[in-house]
Amino acid sequence: MFAYIIRRLIGAVILLFVVSMVTFAIFFLVPRIAGATVEDMASRYVGKTADEAAIHSMAERLGFTDPLYEQYGRFVAGIFAGADYDTGAEVVHCPAPCFGYSFITRNPVWPDLVDRMGVTISLALGAAVIWLAFGVGTGVVSALRRGTFFDRASMGIALAGVSLPIFFTGLLSLTIFSYGLGWTAPGGSYTDFAEDPLQWAGALILPWITLAFLNAAGYARLTRATMLETMNEDFIRTARAKGLNERTVVVKHGLRSVLTPILTIFGLDLGILLGGAVLTESTYSLPGLGKYAVDAIVSNDLPKVLGVTLVGATFIIIANLVVDLLYAVVDPRVRYS
Amino acid sequence: MTAPLEVSSGSSEAQPEAALQGMGKKAIQGRSLGQIAWMRLKRDKVAMVSGILIVVMIIAAVVALLLDRVFGVIDPNAFNQDLIDPDLQIPRGAMGGISLEHPFGVEPINGRDILTRIFAGSWISLLIGFAATLLSVLIGTVMGVIAGYFRGWVDTFISRLMDVFLAFPLLLFAIALVGVVPDNAFGFGRDGSRIFMLIFIIGFFSWPYIGRIIRAQTLSLREREFIDASRSLGARAPHVLFKELLPNLVAPILVYSTLLIPTNILFEAALSFLGVGIQPPSATWGTMLSEASRWYQVDAWYMVFPGLAIFITVLAFNLFGDGLRDALDPRAR
Amino acid sequence: MRKQRTVTMVAAGAAAVMALSACGGGGGSNNNSNGGTTATGPNAAIGKVFNPSDKKGGTLRMANAGDWDSLDPGDTYYAYSWNFIRLYGRSLMMFKPAPGQEGAKLTPDLAEAKGEPSADLKTWTYKIRKGVKFEDGTVVTSKDVKYAVSRSLDKDTFPNGPTYFNEFLDLQGYTSPYKDSDPNGLGLKAIETPDDNTIVFKLSKPFADFDYFAGMPSTIPVPKAKDTGTKYKEKVISTGPYRFETNELGKSFTLVRNEHWDPATDPNRKALPDKITMALNVNADDIDNRLISGDLDVDVVGSGVQPAAQAKILADQALKANSDNPLAARLWYTNINGDVAPLNNIECRKAIQYAADKTGYQRAYGGATGGEIATSLLPPVIPGSEKIDLYPSKDNAGDVEKAKQALAACGQPNGFETNIAYRAERTKEKAVAESLQQSLGRVGIKLNIKSYPTADYAKLYAGKPDFAKSNNLGLMVFGWAADWPNGFGFLKEITDSRTIKPAGNTNFSIKDPKVDAAIDKAMTEKDEAARQKAWSDVDRAAMETAYALPGVIAKGLYYRPKNLTNVFITDGFSEYDYTALGVQN
Repeated sequence: MFAYIIRRLIGAVILLFVVSMVTFAIFFLVPRIAGATVEDMASRYVGKTADEAAIHSMAERLGFTDPLYEQYGRFVAGIFAGADYDTGAEVVHCPAPCFGYSFITRNPVWPDLVDRMGVTISLALGAAVIWLAFGVGTGVVSALRRGTFFDRASMGIALAGVSLPIFFTGLLSLTIFSYGLGWTAPGGSYTDFAEDPLQWAGALILPWITLAFLNAAGYARLTRATMLETMNEDFIRTARAKGLNERTVVVKHGLRSVLTPILTIFGLDLGILLGGAVLTESTYSLPGLGKYAVDAIVSNDLPKVLGVTLVGATFIIIANLVVDLLYAVVDPRVRYS
Repeated sequence: MTAPLEVSSGSSEAQPEAALQGMGKKAIQGRSLGQIAWMRLKRDKVAMVSGILIVVMIIAAVVALLLDRVFGVIDPNAFNQDLIDPDLQIPRGAMGGISLEHPFGVEPINGRDILTRIFAGSWISLLIGFAATLLSVLIGTVMGVIAGYFRGWVDTFISRLMDVFLAFPLLLFAIALVGVVPDNAFGFGRDGSRIFMLIFIIGFFSWPYIGRIIRAQTLSLREREFIDASRSLGARAPHVLFKELLPNLVAPILVYSTLLIPTNILFEAALSFLGVGIQPPSATWGTMLSEASRWYQVDAWYMVFPGLAIFITVLAFNLFGDGLRDALDPRAR
Repeated sequence: MRKQRTVTMVAAGAAAVMALSACGGGGGSNNNSNGGTTATGPNAAIGKVFNPSDKKGGTLRMANAGDWDSLDPGDTYYAYSWNFIRLYGRSLMMFKPAPGQEGAKLTPDLAEAKGEPSADLKTWTYKIRKGVKFEDGTVVTSKDVKYAVSRSLDKDTFPNGPTYFNEFLDLQGYTSPYKDSDPNGLGLKAIETPDDNTIVFKLSKPFADFDYFAGMPSTIPVPKAKDTGTKYKEKVISTGPYRFETNELGKSFTLVRNEHWDPATDPNRKALPDKITMALNVNADDIDNRLISGDLDVDVVGSGVQPAAQAKILADQALKANSDNPLAARLWYTNINGDVAPLNNIECRKAIQYAADKTGYQRAYGGATGGEIATSLLPPVIPGSEKIDLYPSKDNAGDVEKAKQALAACGQPNGFETNIAYRAERTKEKAVAESLQQSLGRVGIKLNIKSYPTADYAKLYAGKPDFAKSNNLGLMVFGWAADWPNGFGFLKEITDSRTIKPAGNTNFSIKDPKVDAAIDKAMTEKDEAARQKAWSDVDRAAMETAYALPGVIAKGLYYRPKNLTNVFITDGFSEYDYTALGVQN
């Protein structure tokens, strides 16, 4: 077991390394392939009075003229040891972990990411609680009452749920509950939990429900399907034959087998969400990682895009890892080979 | 495996995979799986209605493409400024300017007809949905079969490659990429290069999802007796791959594709919603919703029909995909 | 407006502003602009003081949907920031806190009087008022002003601020006090300080409007001892009536009274509230709602309310009575690129001028509330601006016949095809592109729409002539606001072809020696009235070249909460004058 964990950890680190390399290459190569010169890339980082020579020296200071692997090496070194950036006016120290320095807003990327992470984590975890409860609950009940009105209705709603884009349901909910009825905060409001927990929840309740609705639908369908399959298995029949009451059968044996696929999906969904719930945050203008990424892309702020993509990838890889490890705990059939 | 969007992965992928286990078993009984499935499918009213709806939509999309781009009969960009309130810039009259002439209403500012624009945008949504699916299924199948059949270092390499792809925050990556690739990249006219690029990005980055499924299927199939038999009779790898393995993979591929199309349609809509999709004035459902998001406080009706268009299309594909899976694998019922 | 200016014309000018701001149709009162009014009504704070008051005390609550570019006086370029900065800093000159056109006039602030030019207009001398102190009690000297201007030259440290001093001062290679061999950072030779109360600016070329430069925040004194470079914005040393009490960058700040500000040295500022609070990065719709409910006094950005609130206000007479809809010194227009064939032919450019439907342009910016149709470049709020309409059409909807004639004269009777560029995130510019595509389509001019990232529009795309030419960008949608309301402040940067650089331009298309000659004439005209006329001639000359298609003069819809006293729109900024505002409770 221990060796397995170590092996998976090493694998995750290597994966992260490769992903960072590819991401770095793409963001720094594609603009070049598209025809931008290093001077073009540097020109957005210089002052209004800069002439050609100043732009060129900025390109050199930024290291755009160096080979790609050197730039990447510096970037990675910065994550562990911090880095110094020469803005022309002064040398700015970007302390470790330095995920780059934005020359457009003139600040290191990492503190921004930490700042935005709070919003995204609030959004993702809150929604996750709701969708797990509703999704799995509905799925189990549907499976047990297969063919009833409840089953059909909830599965119908679930199918509608997975077919609705969140930027449509989100807009609808804003129109009705926020703008029309005035029950919830307008889009774009966010208060830190530490500042005022009530306002925090008030601002997030609509995004939570909308995001949860979308995901709950999928979970309900998955839970129902797995549950149905499980309840036909031999071991359930055995359990029943033993004379266990139905409740015990369902909870101890049925639910347990549902846990594995739900866990897998849940970990990955959460991983993706934590890296930035791009659509939800854009629809509700929440200042999370996803919105940050979109804004950075819009203003062509490559260091920020790179930083947020890497953080997103890290979340996904960590989620993968955690799922795999939990898997081993939950399901003894998994062999650690 | 994860869905590319914030859409739950539960529905579209985990289920087919879970349900498709043992598919090979069915297939090798195989005289006419197709016929049996077709019989079952015909009995499934919901799936049949969805299927017919999909066919109608495809025909409509082709007609829209012809009328708009080839013959120029309809003009989705025609202005009707007389229908707009000059002070507020929103359509005159209730419900976003719905009238006999404009049954879905008109857009704010310039009064373009929403029905015409939804109709004209249909081919882009469907084309991207289908083509991106085709691309990812093609790459995913080839990679999955190769990895599963040859195993060893080939399998390790492809599996790790898939891990790398799966670790990217896909949506983030897609918007960033579409942003940096120049408009005239592939030398297509007007919307062509954008469409091509969207297909490429959506398709290219989602192949590992199907790749994993096919690999797993191949791994179990290659242990089967009929493959062994074929190999012991001296068949070469290509023969085994294409004549023996592939036919047995048709069912999962088919089901997965049907369920991937709506995901990709949503993906395109999402990219357009975020402003990196097809450029104006061409209409797509996602860009219309993106526009509508700026008007929801004063002209809430604007969002309704583009939103419904996406919803109905995606729902139809999901329903049909469900039905198809049930038909191909009755165990899941 | 559009009239010769005499002392008694102020009221008439103000009335003209009201008539132009069509919203409300002349509601409000008939009070003379020199007095004030308490009668509420639409546009009650345009051209006159609404709720005049001398009552001190209370807290003025302000909010910003975004954030400052910088609070540092040497590094800020937003109009609202230049308006607001007068609360904590004193530049040599300032816009007079007065309603309407009077507010667009310069008055001495830190200086005792307007600048004394030399005969060749290349040397300007100011005397500094005695008794002005920093918030720590130190006396302000001319060296503090010199240091402040010198540091603002360093565009690596302060990238946001204007570059006028860089362009006009006789720098002789000087770049920055931070790289200065003089330990006091006063090595710049272009500014002399013969004594503590005198400062002399030496220019590299003659310039008649230097007083406007002296009114920029970069002349607000900065004490060398307290200068922390890029970090100075976190702790700005005040010379105005208020100083920073708290300052949480990106979140909020508060200003409280500066005990070392002596009203005897300051004839301009009323300084009514005791305290000013500012919330940053607040949701824009939320700001509007709070203004309407009375929980907030001012939206500091001063670009008007969001569409949702606008719809609400226009539909409700009671709310509308508390709103103002002034014209701004901002033009939305489209460049016509003569580098791209066939637009190198003036007749083809004229065809575009005639074919364009300006009502569609206006719709893109929100109709009559969002702006007024423009027929030339210089906005009417700028003193001396004249009505110039060289390409008239009925109801501004375009003249298809004239356009076709022009096309025929250009040798393109069936029209031609070209590209139109706009800034990707500017949805209104997108609407402009779509509207022009339709209206030019009427005469066979086919436009393909292209969008480019806003942040790099000037540096890499439309503002880079090579790129614009090779990508066939015949039309480029753009907008321009005056740095200050005079002809130079508005026109120079978008019409002078000699300042066009390989990239990063703001003049995308107007390249004509006749326009350049008119600019030279205007820049050296000593008489103010004649100078205003000369700038109007630049406007006319630019329109004759047909290189720019004027679209809309911007207007904003402002909500005026009842709590505010002493409210008026100043033409100096086309916003409420922040130095004058007071609160009732």
